[in-house]
Amino acid sequence: MTAAIEGRGLRFGYGTVPVIDGLDVRVDTGQLVVLTGPNGSGKSTLIRLVVGLLSPDRGDVVVLGRPASDPVARRSIGYAPQGSPGRMVLPVSVTEVVASGLVKGWSGPRRDGDVDIALAAVGLTELGAECVFELSGGQQQRAVIARALVGDRPVLILDEPTTGIDRAFRPHLVGELRRRADAGAAVVVVSHDPEDFHDVCDRILFMEDGRVRDVGHDEFHTLEDVGR
Amino acid sequence: MIDVLFTSDFGRRALLAATVVGLVAPVVGAFLVQRRLSLVGDGIGHLALAGVAIGVLVGVSGVAGAMVVALLGAVLLEGLRVRGRLTGDLSLALVFYLGIAAGAVGLSLAGRFDTSVLGVLFGTLFALSWADVGVIALLGAIVVGAVLVLYRPLLAVALDEDTARAGGLPVDALNLALVALTALLVVGGMRVVGLLLVAALMVVPVAAGSKVAHSFRATLGWAVGVGAASAWLGLMVAAWHGGLVPGGTIVLTAIVAFVGFALVGRRTAVGHRPRRTA
Repeated sequence: MTAAIEGRGLRFGYGTVPVIDGLDVRVDTGQLVVLTGPNGSGKSTLIRLVVGLLSPDRGDVVVLGRPASDPVARRSIGYAPQGSPGRMVLPVSVTEVVASGLVKGWSGPRRDGDVDIALAAVGLTELGAECVFELSGGQQQRAVIARALVGDRPVLILDEPTTGIDRAFRPHLVGELRRRADAGAAVVVVSHDPEDFHDVCDRILFMEDGRVRDVGHDEFHTLEDVGR
Repeated sequence: MIDVLFTSDFGRRALLAATVVGLVAPVVGAFLVQRRLSLVGDGIGHLALAGVAIGVLVGVSGVAGAMVVALLGAVLLEGLRVRGRLTGDLSLALVFYLGIAAGAVGLSLAGRFDTSVLGVLFGTLFALSWADVGVIALLGAIVVGAVLVLYRPLLAVALDEDTARAGGLPVDALNLALVALTALLVVGGMRVVGLLLVAALMVVPVAAGSKVAHSFRATLGWAVGVGAASAWLGLMVAAWHGGLVPGGTIVLTAIVAFVGFALVGRRTAVGHRPRRTA
């Protein structure tokens, strides 16, 4: 197994209060890992450290052998933040949202085939030309996920991907992420509903008090009120 | 009287310059509006007035002074925004007042606070030389060329800055490029519709296009059309009347277009309400 994501001795705080302190974490290629834990445990902060949106006060984050701040490392990450694409003012089509995930440089390549594949992966093939704000909240969330999936990046990080998505579609999405991991990607899913991924994930990481630990599938069932 | 636009040199120059600005302004404006930075063009325009004054005071042209100060002001505004100091309207209001006040004082010191100031504020479209038109066309070409090259990354940043940054895009450089292009456009439009109205041509056609389009690209297409059509119709109205300021008639025409598009369009003024269920 090759390490796709490694966090070593991470410390990060807002002001003087550490949200993450002394955290070590590793995710290998080909793994589907669920990161869960109660509100305020530092899950989203850890994710933002990994994707380079935050810099640790102490410690290192390495993505595919490069520092997380390295542009090459960042281009290897497909990132889907929580929620819908909410800042939009002007009409933007679903295809435009998804295609924006393909842009990797000043004038990044665009392959329409990749967009079609990503749209199909989230079940939005028929809605590519629609204005994203005319979709339901769940469909908007699926468009955000498709933006992360487009282009087959080797590291996928999705924050609450099943939140707001109807239960009927969740198995399809979970299966797609499992397929990506089987194809060699490192997939990290932050979820308050790890049950969605319980049967297909390789590891469950439980985050509490700024630290993370493997809880394993059996132990997970003994935890009460995970993240809720 | 409208025929002077086609039969006289000054009319043709006015028509050409207005067309360039009408076409190009929404190209940058669409990205500004999408990023909720609609007033940045106004801020740069106000600062450019101070630039005109500085240019006159130091003995270079007002356009050169406006160019330097507009570019520096654009960088300053972006710096303030990145540091979170331009999040409210108060900061931008202070920038507006700084520009206007410094411009008024500077032009007074230079002994040039006369009716020519009105030309800077509202344009001098019928008094352009071919050299002026050449400068406007050059600035327009630079802006369009840059947006064509940077279209996808600029759109990615406009849609979601965090995701674009996480994906490895040089977000800070792209933001700086956008405000620099805005500054070039402000200077390009200064002689056409004036520093007080040039930002309107960046925003109003885009707002009109957003009422009937399904995508950003379509919005841009409609906006460019509305911008160019407003330039022509507004100029024709001004020429037909003979005593109206073209900058004002052009922007009013764009606003009429916005109202028309809003009436026939399917969207409400602000929100785009979800209509489908999951």
